[in-house]
Amino acid sequence: MKVIKISAIWCGACLITNKVWKQLKDKYSFDAIELDYDMDEDEVQKYSPGEILPVFLFYSDNRELGRLVGEVSFDELEKKYLEVNE
Amino acid sequence: MKKFLLFLFIFLFPLMAFAKENDKITLYFFHGDGCPHCADEKKFLNKIKKDYSNLRIIKYEVWYNDKNAEMLEKVKKELDVKGAGVPVTIIADSVILGYGNGTGEKIRRAVEYYQKEEYRDVVSEILSGTYKKDEFKESSFSKKEEKSDREMTMKLPLFGNVNLKKVSLVTAAVVIGFIDGFNPCAMWILLFLISILIGMKNRKRMWILGLAFLLTSAFVYMLIMLSWVQVAVKITTIIWLRNFIAFIALLGGMFNLYQFVKTKDDSGCQIVDEKKRKKVFKKIRKFTGEKSFFLALLGVIGLAVSVNLVELACSAGLPLVFTELLALNYVNSASKIFYTLIYIFFFLIDDLVIFFLAMFTMKVTGISSKYNKYSHFLGGIIMVLIGILLLFKPEWLMFQFR
Repeated sequence: MKVIKISAIWCGACLITNKVWKQLKDKYSFDAIELDYDMDEDEVQKYSPGEILPVFLFYSDNRELGRLVGEVSFDELEKKYLEVNE
Repeated sequence: MKKFLLFLFIFLFPLMAFAKENDKITLYFFHGDGCPHCADEKKFLNKIKKDYSNLRIIKYEVWYNDKNAEMLEKVKKELDVKGAGVPVTIIADSVILGYGNGTGEKIRRAVEYYQKEEYRDVVSEILSGTYKKDEFKESSFSKKEEKSDREMTMKLPLFGNVNLKKVSLVTAAVVIGFIDGFNPCAMWILLFLISILIGMKNRKRMWILGLAFLLTSAFVYMLIMLSWVQVAVKITTIIWLRNFIAFIALLGGMFNLYQFVKTKDDSGCQIVDEKKRKKVFKKIRKFTGEKSFFLALLGVIGLAVSVNLVELACSAGLPLVFTELLALNYVNSASKIFYTLIYIFFFLIDDLVIFFLAMFTMKVTGISSKYNKYSHFLGGIIMVLIGILLLFKPEWLMFQFR
């Protein structure tokens, strides 16, 4: 299982979600990848992130299983993580 | 979106026609040649004459002209005015004695008052012998102003007598400025700047460049607001222009509410246009990385000026209604600066908190996007409310509730 977080240093909501992202990493074992919208531009565009940040993408075997967009709570993030892991 | 604007235009524009205006108002100015206060008032009257198309000013010199002096005595007697001296200004049955600090504002308020309320040319009635004393009492500006002054003053423990009008303006500055501050338009630039500053090794340089950006932003915002107040003071006396501002406030407020409803279920940051983003980032990197401290400082100051000018369109609504509020209350120049400074301080408070937190903890903190949404909602409500009051009850915005 791979979870990718796309965020930007100029995005307040991305900074807010740093905490829930860390909580998820502490609680579960998965391949956590963090991409910066500006620094990793080419890589980011491969995932078609859309117009809102941050974006959490859930991948398994190079297949997108789901995504969450925007300022999410830990419960929402965890729920999605468990849902795609079923 | 087009349909929404069309709807607003069709339904709101006719509301502007409701505001009524009296045909002609005559202000009588009794003065003495060589009296310095009279000369000051004369200058003031010449100025306000241009602001009110329906205002007629009749001047009577009373020191050297016995006939005019007799006329003044007769009017004073009929209106029960005690006290001698000039200048004496009379509008309807309201008499304003002398000319000093605040008199100009009082004269303006009187003119404004009779634009909307029942007006009779009392001086002309007295001089022609047709004046009946008791008929006009209820709508007298002076009496309502006295009553309002009494009602607007409250005795508070520790503070003594407090003028509620001043308190109301301070409260408006605090509330509107604070809500305006959560507008996300320029926040992304500050966050990027702070991230770059934190990466710098020189703490002193970090502090100075960051503060220079914030203070310049505050200064530019203040200059823009003060120049708007000047314009607002000029146009607020012209009823149709004031109604036009009301219309803009209503339109802007409804757009804010529409934005709130539209993005109610969204959260997070809207990605800023790529070209604009890259341009700003390039500049920030260039200026902060500048070897010469002086050039770095100049660059950051220049950036703050340009950013605030460009981003102004995004947050113009609330400063516009606030400046209109100041103009309506005819506050003097020092007070204009005072209230605007309060507004700016509360406008910047969230930026200051983010900056200081970052400087002390060396970590960047963001503001939850839900506050941006509340800012749209509350800002929208305030603008709609002020828009409606500007059209129907402008005196409430002058904090004269009656």
